[in-house]
Amino acid sequence: MGRFRDLRVLLPFGLTIAIWWGLKAGLDISDKLLVSPPRVWDAFVVLATRGILAEYVSTSLSMIGIATLISFGFGVPLGFAVGTNRYAARALEGFLRYLQGISGIAWLPLAILWSGFTHTTTLAIVIYTLIVPIVFNTMTGVRAIPENYILALRSLGASRLRIVTDVYFPGALPSIVVGTRLGMGYGWRALIASEMLVRQGGLGDLIFGARTFGQIDRIMVGMIVIGTLYIVVDRLLVQPVETMTLARWGVLRK
Amino acid sequence: MSADKIVVSGFRHFFQSDSGPVQATGQIDLTIREGEVVTLVGPSGCGKTTLLKAIAGFIAPTEGEIRCDGRLVRAPGRDRGVVFQELAILPWRTVRRNIAHGLEIARVAKAERDKTVERLIGLMGLVGFEDRYPHELSGGMRQRVAVARTWAADPDVILMDEPFAAVDAMTRLTLQEELGRLCATTRKTVFFITHSVEEAVFLGDRVLVMTRRPGTIKATLDVPRHGKGGRDWDSFTGDPEMRAISEQVMHLVHAERV
Repeated sequence: MGRFRDLRVLLPFGLTIAIWWGLKAGLDISDKLLVSPPRVWDAFVVLATRGILAEYVSTSLSMIGIATLISFGFGVPLGFAVGTNRYAARALEGFLRYLQGISGIAWLPLAILWSGFTHTTTLAIVIYTLIVPIVFNTMTGVRAIPENYILALRSLGASRLRIVTDVYFPGALPSIVVGTRLGMGYGWRALIASEMLVRQGGLGDLIFGARTFGQIDRIMVGMIVIGTLYIVVDRLLVQPVETMTLARWGVLRK
Repeated sequence: MSADKIVVSGFRHFFQSDSGPVQATGQIDLTIREGEVVTLVGPSGCGKTTLLKAIAGFIAPTEGEIRCDGRLVRAPGRDRGVVFQELAILPWRTVRRNIAHGLEIARVAKAERDKTVERLIGLMGLVGFEDRYPHELSGGMRQRVAVARTWAADPDVILMDEPFAAVDAMTRLTLQEELGRLCATTRKTVFFITHSVEEAVFLGDRVLVMTRRPGTIKATLDVPRHGKGGRDWDSFTGDPEMRAISEQVMHLVHAERV
């Protein structure tokens, strides 16, 4: 939170708005290409007071929320399963890296053919984007745990489940949190892109729809909200969890 | 004469490598009696850790068999505690909870668990550090915790793999004396491997010397323990008998230099 109190953080934002405004006024750019900051503010007020913005925002936020829960629920156990099995880890590591090369958006044509222009399609794309870093980071987290931790516990009579709860989980937790945060960042971008094509609500739909009617003010409101929501969710929700786990578990790992 | 606790017979071990099997040890036959402290000294790479891991049940012998109390060793078990050289206590548990871990796993009632943990914290000089995390401790303190954790779980046999090798020389002397006293008071069966001749003679009731890889046991020397004599470094270094044994072991080990 300390960083937000530092006004220097806001400086580039102010500067961007000033340049934008200056260019608009100074070069007399047509409203068809760029509108002034007050016009964007007006559009924001209209969208916000009529509940339109809330509708689109809630669609996007619930999509990323659901996708995160599902990806976490399946990704973490999968990461454990792969990470605890040397052969599976070796077999899957290359494949996971390969998958990271095929972005979620590249799956859109296929997903649309399979599920049509539906929330299912978007959800599938976002889960795909989110789950790979979660699996990958859980796996690397598990594999980075010194073997002696496990051997020592086995000779204390620990069961396999006990080793998972007492060694693998606390040992891999910092990596799991880092993977989830990374995944949510990628997932948010994939979500907007998918919404633009699927057109079933969400902020991607809002800005792409506004383009059809040349509503530049709405496009810009949408873009600003996309960026703001990312920062709010990442910095105010996800990062504190990461800082907490890293402070508590990360330092303790050394 | 006490009973045989650990019997290793016809043990040989090979590791698989990309260029085929690599022989880790030669044939090893070994008996450790109940309540005996057996130390094994040998050059690095001779296969002493391999032997210890096989007794612990972490690896299955390529040839031969290992029995503990007459039962074939197939897997790790609570009857055989292990103290490693380093990186074995859990960084996310406090000293107290690390020491209590084996008792938690065995579902020992909390009151009894606390009593045992308190006793070991006292014995191992960890008073005042109960609620610290391992990263807040020195290397020597961490090894005290590792030793205490193993003793708390009360195994019949304790296997130690160069537990003090990563500790500074001054602290090592203290830890060795503490371990000597602990062994003498608890009468556990202990198998301790090291590459330090002095450590082997200081701690062992019997010292085994291994050849270089693929290691076999080339000599066994009894270390007579007359009462308390030789359980601290002052009396140990002042004892001509101990000096003679150390020299003898030193000669045997030196012959194995590459």
